[in-house]
Amino acid sequence: MTDHILPGSRRPGVEETPFEAEAHGPEGIYPPTEEMLREPVDPDVAKAQEARLRKAWKTPTGWRYWSAVNNSEVGVWYSMTAFVFMLLAGILALAVRVQLAVPDNDFLSADRFNQFFTMHGSAMMFLFAVPMFEAISILILPAFLGARDMPFPRLSAYGYWCFLIGGVFVMGSILFGVAPDAGWFMYPPLATQHSGMGSDIWLLGLSFIEVASIAAAVELIVGVLKCRPPGMRVNIMPLYAWYVLVVGGMILFAFPPLIAGDFLFELERSFDWPFFDPTRGGDPMLWQHLFWIFGHPEVYIIFLPSIAIAAMVVPTAAQRPIVGYSWIVLSAVGTGFLSFGLWVHHMFTTGLPTISLGFFSAASEAVVIPTGVQLFAFAATLMVGKVRMSLPMLWISGALAIFVAGGLTGVMVAIAPFDWQVHDTYFIVAHLHYTLFGGMVFPVIGGVYYFYPFIRKKKLSDRMGRWAFWLIFAGFNLTFLPMHLTGLKGMPRRVFTYPGDIGWDWLNLVSSVGAFVIAAGFAIFAWDLVRPKGRQADPARNPWGAGTLEWSHEIPEEFWGVRSIPHITSRYPLWDQPDLVARMDAGRFYLPDAEEGRRETMITSVIDATPMQVLRVTGPAWVTIWAAIFTGGAFIFPTFHWYPPAIICGGLAIACVIYWLWTSTAEIPEKEKKDAGLGLKLPIYVSGPKAAGWWGVWITMLGDSTAFASLVFGVFFYWTARPDFPPEGTDHAAWALSLLALALLVGSWAATFGARYLNGRSHWRTVMTSLVAAPLLAAAGCAALIFAVRVPDLQPTTHVYPAVLWALTIWTVVHVGAGIIMQLYCLAALLAGKITPRHDAPLWNITLYWHFICLTVIVTVAVTAGLPRLL
Amino acid sequence: MTKTQPSDEREFAEEQSSLFKITLGPLAWALHFVASYAAAAVWCAKGPGGSILPLRLGIGAMTAVALGLILWVGWRAWQQWDFTDDWDYEHARARGEDRHEFLGHAAFLLAIVSFVGTCYTALPALYIGTCR
Repeated sequence: MTDHILPGSRRPGVEETPFEAEAHGPEGIYPPTEEMLREPVDPDVAKAQEARLRKAWKTPTGWRYWSAVNNSEVGVWYSMTAFVFMLLAGILALAVRVQLAVPDNDFLSADRFNQFFTMHGSAMMFLFAVPMFEAISILILPAFLGARDMPFPRLSAYGYWCFLIGGVFVMGSILFGVAPDAGWFMYPPLATQHSGMGSDIWLLGLSFIEVASIAAAVELIVGVLKCRPPGMRVNIMPLYAWYVLVVGGMILFAFPPLIAGDFLFELERSFDWPFFDPTRGGDPMLWQHLFWIFGHPEVYIIFLPSIAIAAMVVPTAAQRPIVGYSWIVLSAVGTGFLSFGLWVHHMFTTGLPTISLGFFSAASEAVVIPTGVQLFAFAATLMVGKVRMSLPMLWISGALAIFVAGGLTGVMVAIAPFDWQVHDTYFIVAHLHYTLFGGMVFPVIGGVYYFYPFIRKKKLSDRMGRWAFWLIFAGFNLTFLPMHLTGLKGMPRRVFTYPGDIGWDWLNLVSSVGAFVIAAGFAIFAWDLVRPKGRQADPARNPWGAGTLEWSHEIPEEFWGVRSIPHITSRYPLWDQPDLVARMDAGRFYLPDAEEGRRETMITSVIDATPMQVLRVTGPAWVTIWAAIFTGGAFIFPTFHWYPPAIICGGLAIACVIYWLWTSTAEIPEKEKKDAGLGLKLPIYVSGPKAAGWWGVWITMLGDSTAFASLVFGVFFYWTARPDFPPEGTDHAAWALSLLALALLVGSWAATFGARYLNGRSHWRTVMTSLVAAPLLAAAGCAALIFAVRVPDLQPTTHVYPAVLWALTIWTVVHVGAGIIMQLYCLAALLAGKITPRHDAPLWNITLYWHFICLTVIVTVAVTAGLPRLL
Repeated sequence: MTKTQPSDEREFAEEQSSLFKITLGPLAWALHFVASYAAAAVWCAKGPGGSILPLRLGIGAMTAVALGLILWVGWRAWQQWDFTDDWDYEHARARGEDRHEFLGHAAFLLAIVSFVGTCYTALPALYIGTCR
């Protein structure tokens, strides 16, 4: 490694990496020298800068408030909405517990009971646990990173509105008595053959929300990779950021299999394509696989970010750096990987070969190692530090105790023969609630107490917090500890009532009483959260004496995120960099101004966080809400089998997104570079791998490819699981047409790639010709792909084999369709002068998309036309 | 634009091998896991029936390959961590050396977890003699 040192600028422990001259790259001095940082800022200049910043970041007022996209607004809406859904799901649980309090009860009918427990599970998982992670991260991650906002604020807002619409739709169904009632994992054939619309509501409503989750994951990953403050290398970034990175990655690989499953499931429900119908070659087990490939990692997707909150609270409570930073990173990454090898432990009783069960049992035991490592790291930090037993730390302690208990029963049920005994009994209900309360609910509430002064600039009541803690902690154990025994005594989950005198009566009664004690605790917590705190004095700026960057926040609140973006050289900058906050406040650091009245934040490099770009982020907009409403329509109308309005909504949603991209992304700036402060000039427009948008596309497509891979997995699954796949003497996809489609679509990819390559190297007419040819080739390719399965008259309703061919074809055609829109977008942008030889970000992004499409097409043709002829 | 080196590319060039090392250990575990699961599923569904000895031997061979790979990664990561040079295991300073050794340390620890995980995955093949 070569170190470049600028003369006279050496600071202990900080390496100098001056920029090499580059036409469009950063130039100037980096990192800043101590002399530069020591130089005071003229107070008049600072005042003028503050006024401009305040104006640029002003939150809209009145009814326009709802057009805000800033992370501090969207994050609050998001978390409060998720919290309300949690309370609603909690009320459902109370009703369930009332019904089960005594034997032979008729408080709820069997049908309503089914709806209630299904919605309790579905809402807690999809409307609370995962969205809460996204909400909290959107709210606090930029502050951890000293960033002004997330890289794509409108995407967060769009994700939020999608979540709100989808959540209200799914939750609302319960008021009409048509809610999903086949259990939160929707097993076929019960769910596929169910006559009501409950299953459709579940599938479409929650798919819609999953799309929002993936959008948030993309946003958060790019945020961690590209929006860190200068100097915050990977080895010193806050542990929360590491967890977000791991969890974002897990979402990309866990949610898509469920989306693929939903796609197949809805095709069966709406069009009678027999993916899960064994009489026509289908197999209900495929759903179980796809669901749990999602479902088990999801448990860790819920757990890791919550334990990440503990990783922020524990060092503050111990007043020292975390012990074993590398160990915790190991633990997060290791858990992330291993959690994908556990899914079959939900399927131990389905009759898979014992040796297969053995693999999953072994992996389920192995995941305890990295999970345990982080708990030991916390314990070690607390042991070597001077612990202040603050209220947040009380909740974290409760979390650790409950989670360890849940982990121990987890080790038990990971052993297949034990699981055979307790499968689908209340033992499992007790186990999963121990892990989820300990792994999610307690640390998140601890986090709310901890971060509340940062979020609302007021403190929550210490006294009410302790009451809430002890009520919830005691109530929780009262409810769920006896359930282990209820389960061992054989009570199955999901029964709406039970006869008396078989030893379950008093256990159920105790659990029901406990549930109301938990509810009392939550009532106190909820009241504390929303009660008016106007007369309370402002809390201290750093009330817990923490060391991380979010506590440099301002009281009273300013909406600019940070006054200036600091240069970070420590894991706990507030402890180790004594003048940091004063210099941030004075505007001594980067981007202290908004000269052009634009919202700006800094993009840095992935590994060492060297400054690379001043990113102009988008401001308030209504288009995100419209896009969400129409996307909602496209998902919600099909539940009623109203396809024309759904298609119109889909078209309008696409129009909104195009308008949004056209008007506010990849704008050509008025100047190439701007002064970022401290002698550094940074480019405003970058493209390709340097741009946040390119990373967004890359990460999105990784998730998309996972969904596609899940469909391909389905093909191989049918082949191993079914003797009649493909059926004797069946027609196959027409190979000549398939090859033609392949040639045309690869040609379209080449034309797209060529357009990007030639742009700037060749005459723009050549680029234009390429971009005109590309969508034409793609459209012809789509037609050939469809005719390849249409010409042999493959009827998808007759057997799963033609259905699978059609499903893969539809998937690919839809993706190519999106690719055509992108090609046309770039063509228009080229004509309108939005793309020039130097300003080519959209071309880079769509080329990246087309790389993935090219791969998808190759695999689709191989699997539909090639492989079945070989099997 | 050809001769210049933007930060991302320079850093990736510098740390390409360590990023590779970090993922390679768990990736070896994952591939071994998927291969073992797929082999067992296909053998038990489409195989000749009876003894699963060839399957078990195959899994054994795959385990040897995976463990060999993980050991190699672990050894390279240990060298990158370079622990015995300064006995540093915090890597908390803002300089290239700490970042480099941190990535080595994380890769080394992940190699250990992957090693244990792979041994666990292989255990059923050691003990279980039939598909049923």
